[in-house]
Amino acid sequence: MTTKWARIVVRSALLFGAAVVLLSPALAQTSPSNAKAKTSSTGAVQTSRVPQGQPDLEGVWSIASLTPLQRDPELGEKQFFTPEEAAAYLKKRSQELDFDRRDVPPDEDTARAYNQSWYDRGTKLGRNMRTSLVIDPPDGRIPPMTPEAKRRFENAHAYFAAHPADGPEDRTLGERCLNFSQEGPPLLPGGYNNNYQIVQTPNYVAILAEMGNKTRIIPLGGRPHLPQSVSQWNGDSRGHWEGKTLVVDTTNVRFNDKSHFGVNYDGLTDQNLRVTERFTRTDADTITYQATVNDPTVYTKPWTIEIVMSKTEDPLFEYACHEGNYGMFGILGGARADEKKAAEQGHHQ
Amino acid sequence: MKGKLAGLVVAAGLFLCGTAAWAHHAFTAEFDSTKPVKLQGTVTKMEWINPHAWIHVDVKGDDGKVTSWMVECGTPNTLLRRGFTRDTVTAGMEIVVDGYKAKDGSNRANGRDVTFPDGRKLFLGSNGTGAPDDKDK
Repeated sequence: MTTKWARIVVRSALLFGAAVVLLSPALAQTSPSNAKAKTSSTGAVQTSRVPQGQPDLEGVWSIASLTPLQRDPELGEKQFFTPEEAAAYLKKRSQELDFDRRDVPPDEDTARAYNQSWYDRGTKLGRNMRTSLVIDPPDGRIPPMTPEAKRRFENAHAYFAAHPADGPEDRTLGERCLNFSQEGPPLLPGGYNNNYQIVQTPNYVAILAEMGNKTRIIPLGGRPHLPQSVSQWNGDSRGHWEGKTLVVDTTNVRFNDKSHFGVNYDGLTDQNLRVTERFTRTDADTITYQATVNDPTVYTKPWTIEIVMSKTEDPLFEYACHEGNYGMFGILGGARADEKKAAEQGHHQ
Repeated sequence: MKGKLAGLVVAAGLFLCGTAAWAHHAFTAEFDSTKPVKLQGTVTKMEWINPHAWIHVDVKGDDGKVTSWMVECGTPNTLLRRGFTRDTVTAGMEIVVDGYKAKDGSNRANGRDVTFPDGRKLFLGSNGTGAPDDKDK
């Protein structure tokens, strides 16, 4: 790592640490946790606890994997791959995602953007060997939208097709550096930066998402949600412990009709969205993460995903998206060039 | 008409979905797939910035005139995780960029494929970065 980057990482870590200390002076009395799992005489896996006695979720975690969000319909209700099926799936998927290939029409080739080295989706299935991140409904598919949500969804896309870039507001939240699926809730993997750092104090859990560079600070212990009139891109989260599981309840999610749940799924959110996340330390190297999405005005029934978060020794890197988002100028400039071209073609007809 | 609208909606949906799945932003909105460019030139600097890194290249034309180009790549975070550093690409290096020119006509292109003149990838690496689940389990 270069000296400059090392400075940036350390400074970010210190600032992040300082923010947590400000939130909870009690952290100053604790020491860094040492996450080790032990197996008891009964064979049950015991995970360590942070000094304040709560189960230990601290560390840096990755959710990168090639497990698809939704199950291939041909697999029906089959929840897990056999080793042979997994190998076949990974071979096929890795080929599809090898963007060093130049074997597609120019439009698609342009959309592949750049060489494969810039992508970091992982190369394996999640450790649970599931056939989809969606574990409920049993078909592994996100339930259909309500008729009203479908209408809004179609209107939003028809508007986008006609007005791809009148201004930056027409572009996706990600392109505008406002919000990313990796940030959640629910956490959903993307093409890169699928990494998180979790820090705990007795009264708060903080989750820093590498993609988007935002920290979700989750108060524990019964504090009420913000008033309904206040909404935030990542909602308003409240946590509590149920045994060894951290349960996080999120409401007050800011939305517009271009809000979407993730890079793999282009759906809607609205003011009725409630996400319930469950973080369970399952062994020294993993947290089992489950999230239930309940939005009765958008989805005909709730749906749940499961992701195995894997411990990594890698540091998080800063993702200061606004810093160099030259691409937005290029997109808007491109749209103006397209309009000019269309006007000239119209003039000549 | 209904079929046509549905087709439009599906196309727009795929567009939004597809672009988000592949890169931070839609390269098809920024670069012209009807204008492929192949540039061979000398690196003047690389900006290790997010959301996308940019490599600046001076390209000498047949008439001897030098034109400066900017080449858009991906997030530097992935490169750092793979062990590359700012010393990997330095001023004076000769590279070849095979990409598409910006729609707005400026001297910018995407680094669809960036190599050394002998064809080696500039950032050669396996698909995985060594992240935990990329290791054999």
